[in-house]
Amino acid sequence: MARMKFLCDAERCIECNSCVTACKNEHEVPWGVNRRRVVTLNDGVPGEKSISVACMHCTDAPCAAVCPVDCFYTTDDGIVLHDKDLCIGCGYCFYACPFGAPQYPQQSAFGVRGKMDKCTFCAGGPLADNSNKEYEKYGRNRIAEGKLPLCAEMCSTKALLAGDGDMIADIYRQRVLKRGGRPQTWGWESAYGASG
Amino acid sequence: MKTLVSTMAGLTLLFLGGCYESPNVTTYEPGVYKGPKDPLMMGKADQRAETLKKRFELVQMDR
Repeated sequence: MARMKFLCDAERCIECNSCVTACKNEHEVPWGVNRRRVVTLNDGVPGEKSISVACMHCTDAPCAAVCPVDCFYTTDDGIVLHDKDLCIGCGYCFYACPFGAPQYPQQSAFGVRGKMDKCTFCAGGPLADNSNKEYEKYGRNRIAEGKLPLCAEMCSTKALLAGDGDMIADIYRQRVLKRGGRPQTWGWESAYGASG
Repeated sequence: MKTLVSTMAGLTLLFLGGCYESPNVTTYEPGVYKGPKDPLMMGKADQRAETLKKRFELVQMDR
């Protein structure tokens, strides 16, 4: 069974933010909510690297582990989704997520959180596929249409890949072999130094 | 006197009726999704995986 994953190749990402724009446009994401964002490391310094980050659809999702109302579920192909009707907007998932993926619309004064919103891997939610209600709450369901997430499909440099984890890993492995070496943007040596 | 006794009996029954405990206990299962089932999960996942694989090869493979 395929496990759907995202992978952003930092050597290819040019920080154009098209993935962010595509996501917001495709799903009519409200102001203040970013399902996807581009993070730049060492911004302004020669050799800066950018990565596009959203929900990574973790195999053992920490958001689901801490949810007090159990509104998260994982599809057969490994996409982590949630039910907004069950969500109470407590924010626990935001603290648990290492990627900062859960977002909350500001619906009233005094910082009261609304229902959590996050990347759905363009797979909608637990409502009828591509119904108006599903679109309003979760955005478009491209997976049901046999398509993959728009952010990856329209990435001009093919830095952002979305699909079966095995296929993505094969592509990335080929790229690393072609480049001749592992990228040093992150990993043990970047974090702790060569002698760490 | 008879009326008083029957009223008292009625009130006692009513009072005890409030102590009734439903045998249908709702057990909370932590970590189990509580919402409705996603229609996406009712379809054939293998068939969808094949479609998405073709889509991936069409759109995202390196040129």
